[in-house]
Amino acid sequence: MVDIEIEIDGKVVHGYSGETVISIADREGIDIPRFCYHKKLSVAANCRMCLVDIEGNPNPQPACSTQSSFGMKVHTKNEKAKTAQKAVMEFLLINHPLDCPICDQGGECELQDVAMEFGSDISRFTEGKRIVDDKEIGALIQTDMTRCIHCTRCVRFGAEVAGIVEMGATGRSEDLKIEPFLSEGIQSELSGNMIDVCPVGALTSKPFRYGVRSWQMNSIQTIARHDLVGSNIFTQTHESKVKRVVARDNENINETWISDRDRFSYQGLNSDNRILIPKIKIKGEWQDTSWDDALDFAANGIKKHAKEGSQIGTLASKNATLEELYLLQKFTRGLGSDNLDYRLDAANPSNAKVLESNISLTELETIDHALIVNSYLRLEQPMINHRIRKATLNGASVSTINAKAFDFNYRISHSVLTSPQNTVATLSGVLKALLDKNSQTLPDYLNSVSVHQTHIDIANALLNAEHPVVVLGEHVNGNKCSDQVATLVSEIAKASEAKTLNASLTGNAHSAERVNFKPENGKNALQILSSDFTAFVLFDVYPTFDCIDSENAIEHLSHDDAFVVAMNSFDDESVLNCANVILPIASFYETSGTHINVDNIAQSYSASVKSAGESKPGWKVIKVLADLLNLQGFDFTDSSQIADKALSLTPNTSEIEVPISNSKMPNITTVWQYTPYASDVVVRHASSLQQTRIGQISEASVCKATAKLLELSEGDLYKGVPVNINESVAEGCVFVHTHLPRQC
Amino acid sequence: MINKIKKIFKDFGLSEIRAGMKITGKQLTNDKITVQFPEERTPISPRFRGLLALRRYPNGEERCIACKLCEAVCPANAITIESEMRDDGTRRATKYDIDLFKCIFCGFCEESCPVDAIVGTHIFDYAFETREGSIIDKEGLLEVGDKHEKAISKARQADSKYR
Repeated sequence: MVDIEIEIDGKVVHGYSGETVISIADREGIDIPRFCYHKKLSVAANCRMCLVDIEGNPNPQPACSTQSSFGMKVHTKNEKAKTAQKAVMEFLLINHPLDCPICDQGGECELQDVAMEFGSDISRFTEGKRIVDDKEIGALIQTDMTRCIHCTRCVRFGAEVAGIVEMGATGRSEDLKIEPFLSEGIQSELSGNMIDVCPVGALTSKPFRYGVRSWQMNSIQTIARHDLVGSNIFTQTHESKVKRVVARDNENINETWISDRDRFSYQGLNSDNRILIPKIKIKGEWQDTSWDDALDFAANGIKKHAKEGSQIGTLASKNATLEELYLLQKFTRGLGSDNLDYRLDAANPSNAKVLESNISLTELETIDHALIVNSYLRLEQPMINHRIRKATLNGASVSTINAKAFDFNYRISHSVLTSPQNTVATLSGVLKALLDKNSQTLPDYLNSVSVHQTHIDIANALLNAEHPVVVLGEHVNGNKCSDQVATLVSEIAKASEAKTLNASLTGNAHSAERVNFKPENGKNALQILSSDFTAFVLFDVYPTFDCIDSENAIEHLSHDDAFVVAMNSFDDESVLNCANVILPIASFYETSGTHINVDNIAQSYSASVKSAGESKPGWKVIKVLADLLNLQGFDFTDSSQIADKALSLTPNTSEIEVPISNSKMPNITTVWQYTPYASDVVVRHASSLQQTRIGQISEASVCKATAKLLELSEGDLYKGVPVNINESVAEGCVFVHTHLPRQC
Repeated sequence: MINKIKKIFKDFGLSEIRAGMKITGKQLTNDKITVQFPEERTPISPRFRGLLALRRYPNGEERCIACKLCEAVCPANAITIESEMRDDGTRRATKYDIDLFKCIFCGFCEESCPVDAIVGTHIFDYAFETREGSIIDKEGLLEVGDKHEKAISKARQADSKYR
């Protein structure tokens, strides 16, 4: 691989032909100052800070855009290079304000560091400095454009990574300004990364503004739990509060980027709505109490109300940690019940085989065709969508089978609009087209399926591709035929030799699958919530948002004979109504735990801050409750012991065949999707995210024909969500995209 | 023998008492060096570092911008600052506490301050009656600054050519 040898500062180093001098220097640990160069962005070479002396060149050359060649001799620290760097620094500081003490970037500023090392002690500049008006660009990013040094990293980030050209350079010379093209502000779901790439204090975090200084905080390595990627992050804490979240490099998982959801959700932790003290309900009145009393109350209640273990139903959030899910299933099964589930939002939580993901995140970049089924991937899984976007930049094509034509940040070559009730037929059509092309025999259920031209187009695209992938997204969860859809997706993948990626298992669902947090013979989430069980255990469940049929769920949870133990981190009215005891548990970043991501990588993390108030880590609460009920096998002293035990389990893989049939579905169905900033309880409490354009989305899209059938007109409320009539939605369904609680 | 005779003359001639009285006599007419504190005070260098104070600009706006450099540099961890964005968008301290039990009057805070907000005054005789009294908050510091602004700016003026 190594094919050239160059000399930097007298040291012989190796590189690849065509590699830039700066990337070789970075690898060898030779420091070259830079502002516009970023390893993940294209080379702009407009800041000129990385000027180095290359023997044979009369003038200093920028190291970021100079390609190395055999025998090149580079000096980064000789007189010529130093003079050039010092001169550039002086030019940059002509217009940059020198009020570092009030700048939020102060202490972690690249310009400050480089000025200390390469700058001059005194300024020769006595003329007036340039002042640039600030632009309001949304609730997440604070601008201070006078500080901008025109490195254009944010502009290139928008164009190359986020895929939405939002920032741009307007004007020339002294009038050059970096500003958003639209007055609506930044709308990307990855916009927070602009804060990270900005080398100066021009773009800083708005929720973090003027709070603490960088040197006051501790950085703790941890994992973001909102999606199935498990992005690596640092939580930066001060006085036991998470003050900021920044990205941590991990080439195999999140590269150097994180989504806004991962970056700003920490605000939810400091919300006023946290439950801080254990509560018990006596004669319909809530009372604050001590942990001992609350645990006794919970244990006695379970003993009394669930004389038979099978009368217990346990439901957990899909964002719980591996440890919590493991202990909770052990707890429930220890009591003699198999009624447990995490798939609260599934319309059909069947025991059928879960579609497996057999493509790694890095492999996603090398695909040449992606078929996205039932997913608004850009908002659901921003980091996975980013990898697919990278593939499209290398020539990959993408086709979709969705209920609505979504706004992706790459071109869609074939798009089929299909309502949930027609998804099985559409996928069957694609499968039939594939099998026809392969001249394979058709299974019986495909005989009567009609194949449209678009199905053939998609089949051709899949067959012509060398490395295709089929992605199944979140919308399938609300589909009554989800098992059939998953089966067809896996058949399509088989017929086209494509890899599969199951993006419908969000949050930490892979952990739940690993510890078998679903019934084998018992009742599933839907059945539990329509049963007359006498005891329920809810783990961080908020029925109004989480359950697919929330009204029915609340009704069954709050019937008179039911004893409900709720372990929650946030206050919630529906929980207050139905629970008998609430045990406050630690939220994200407050507990140690493990997240299993889509690549089956288990990432463990420790707590970043102490849990709020008197709340305790969930695994400790479950363990003590189990001890009080005399259950065996809970003698753990550390969450890592639980993780080791849980990771040694192998998930049950069901071999149930799912027959493809024309199941009866209503004529008009609803696809309910939460905005990414309403996907779990922590992010729902993150106030800044709620103020963004994505956070504010709330519309029920419906096409004209369906609107007529439903007698809806523009602006009406459909299940509490304003109706928007447009033709980008499949006939026969209403696509609800909202941050409001689900109504059935 | 001769020495003995000399000693007798010296002793009986009261020579040592006379020498002592000579000094006493001289000092009787000299200026006194004892200072009658607190009615009288010794002169103080403009660089003297006494009780700390926060200053304001002439228009009444507080100087402190809550950059927290003094907090960072304080070797005794005597300073605690909390900051936020004021409604007009400027960076301001919501809390600025100095624990005078911890403060060692090293003057690093004054050195580090980019806006000359925190300064050492010439006050060295102060007392507090409660334990909590040792913590002086932002209002207290500003009050000291307002009261002694004249002396503070005079001292800065006097020292300006060496800064």
